[in-house]
Amino acid sequence: MGTRVELYRFGDGAADALALAQRAIEQVDDALTIHRPSAATALNEALRRGETGVIDDPLLLDALIRIDDARAMTERLFDPTVDMRRATVRWERLRFDRSAATLACDAPAALDFGGFGKGYALDRAVTALRDAGVACALLSAGESSMAVIGEHPLGGAWSFAVPDPRDADRTLVEVALIDEALSISSTLGLGLAAPERAAMVRPGRSAAVVAPRSAVVVDASGAVAEMLSTALIVADDEAAQRLQDGVRRMLFDLAPAAPTRIFA
Amino acid sequence: MTDKTFEFTRRTFLDRVLMASAGGVMATATPWAAIAARAESAGAGKVRLGVIGTGDRGRALIQNIAKTRNCTVAAICDNYAPHLAKARQWVAAGTAEFSDHRKMLEARGLDAVVIATPLHRHAQHTFDAMDAGLHVWCEKAMARTIADCGAMVERARTCGKVLQIGHQRMFHPTYLNAWRRVKAGEIGTVTQIRASWHRNNAWRRPVPADSDDRRINWRLYRESSAGLMTELATHQLQVGNWFLDAVPTRVIGSGSICFWKDGREVYDHVALIYEYAGGRKLIYTSLLNNARYGCEEQIQGSKGTIEPELGRIYQEVPPRSLALQRMQADVKRGHKRTIPIGGATWFPELPVTTPGESLGWGEYDETMLQFEGFGEAVRSGKPLPGLLQQAYNASVASLLGEQAMDRGEAVAWPTSLVTV
Repeated sequence: MGTRVELYRFGDGAADALALAQRAIEQVDDALTIHRPSAATALNEALRRGETGVIDDPLLLDALIRIDDARAMTERLFDPTVDMRRATVRWERLRFDRSAATLACDAPAALDFGGFGKGYALDRAVTALRDAGVACALLSAGESSMAVIGEHPLGGAWSFAVPDPRDADRTLVEVALIDEALSISSTLGLGLAAPERAAMVRPGRSAAVVAPRSAVVVDASGAVAEMLSTALIVADDEAAQRLQDGVRRMLFDLAPAAPTRIFA
Repeated sequence: MTDKTFEFTRRTFLDRVLMASAGGVMATATPWAAIAARAESAGAGKVRLGVIGTGDRGRALIQNIAKTRNCTVAAICDNYAPHLAKARQWVAAGTAEFSDHRKMLEARGLDAVVIATPLHRHAQHTFDAMDAGLHVWCEKAMARTIADCGAMVERARTCGKVLQIGHQRMFHPTYLNAWRRVKAGEIGTVTQIRASWHRNNAWRRPVPADSDDRRINWRLYRESSAGLMTELATHQLQVGNWFLDAVPTRVIGSGSICFWKDGREVYDHVALIYEYAGGRKLIYTSLLNNARYGCEEQIQGSKGTIEPELGRIYQEVPPRSLALQRMQADVKRGHKRTIPIGGATWFPELPVTTPGESLGWGEYDETMLQFEGFGEAVRSGKPLPGLLQQAYNASVASLLGEQAMDRGEAVAWPTSLVTV
């Protein structure tokens, strides 16, 4: 996953709960990684060759279904499709047959599960911990994706201080969670001059999003929070406003002149 | 250093070699080291070596042979008298001297020869020695051409003699320990090795009035050497093959005479990529006008990096998150506060500057140990297993790199190599 995952449990639960949660995360990584041979790379190879990819990994199939289901919710702005030639191939161009567990495309394409995988892995780990009787835990994937089970061990919500990516010594916002997940996405790092690790590309266009944006989304599902925080980064101002549906908390935008600026 | 001190440090060194080469996997994979480290003192029955070539390298070898328990220099040979004179101080009084290696071979009284002559002479000297019924220890690289490297292997086989090539890193406890830790999975899957040998000097020796440049500076001329490739890169290509447990599938490279435009014929700047099965690579550079990064191999795995020349191992795991650890400590003492997290801040991916951990075990003279191993091989008439294969592959790789740079195109690993 290329991310430091940390799991902290408190109180009751099976002795091997953390090991089960770790295994759940590793299984997601094994299925979705594109940095070593996996079910995802096998599917990508088939798509690259213009063949119909058979999805025989249940985790990969489940991930694709969740992504497919979330298309409307993210206004199609979260898109795992990577166009092999131009930024014109989008998810809708793929033919996803859930019952047959196949995926096909009439143009070379590939899938990248960044912007989904960490949250999805945390969801699976949360389920594993709950199944093992754990009622209080904190899970972190690189500290940009967090999930908590229950209340803080000392009572009340878990409170997290999200740093301002322009100035790490400043807190951008504090977020309180109970039985929720948090995802943070940003287009800038330590100061505007900090080199970008990877550029966000708005689906359907080839240009990278260069506006200084940061989005924090809280949802019951880590995967949903992850997809929405990514969508908010690539959304224009109007789309960003529409995405704020009131169902979940979204804290968004660092652009100085943005009309949707939420951070006070 | 007193004899007693030397014996103590020697014992320590050998213990470390034995520790590094112990265990089932190591015993099978690196048997040469343990065999050499277990060499016994031979008293009067030492293996008698005749050294052909007593230049700088030859004299260094003579000094190492003198430290061994089972070998002795019984004759020295060089066709340049000043070299012979300089070597005299390192051998016992009365040691036979020759200016023609054939005379030395005819004189008998030797069990094996040590060849430390210019590269283009290695093959002929090996043939002559083996035809005279002697075993051969030869400096790396093996020969000036891939064909001659193969011919040396074939000659050793047909004559039933030991042919050992000087790749001392295979006897070095730090390298052996590094190899053991790589095989144990401590740095994950190794996909790349970056190796360099950077110096900042002309690599040119002063030419005495009674000699000439091609003789003294043979490393700078194509007829006698492939320059940086055969004289330096060979060592590190051997390390690359050893740690990747394979030979390259092909090599691409660029070479130039970029800085020392002094009439030399060999490159003073080389940069090559050796490709291995599975997309793995060895990236090699060597140059003669910048010593900042010196001599090093960086063995890069998914979980860590080993730099054997520095004797360090580095883990990929980033520093532990203090904020989350503090949260855990806070809970234990009943204190609740907001947890600062890293957020989506993107850090520039700068080199890790942590000191890493020591691989253990500093320098000692592994060159001495390889001669003890050679002595054991000569006594038994059986080569130390695995060594010649490594040496042959390393020499082929170095010469193939030269071809790739000369042609300016990728060159595939030859399919017509001899079987070792």
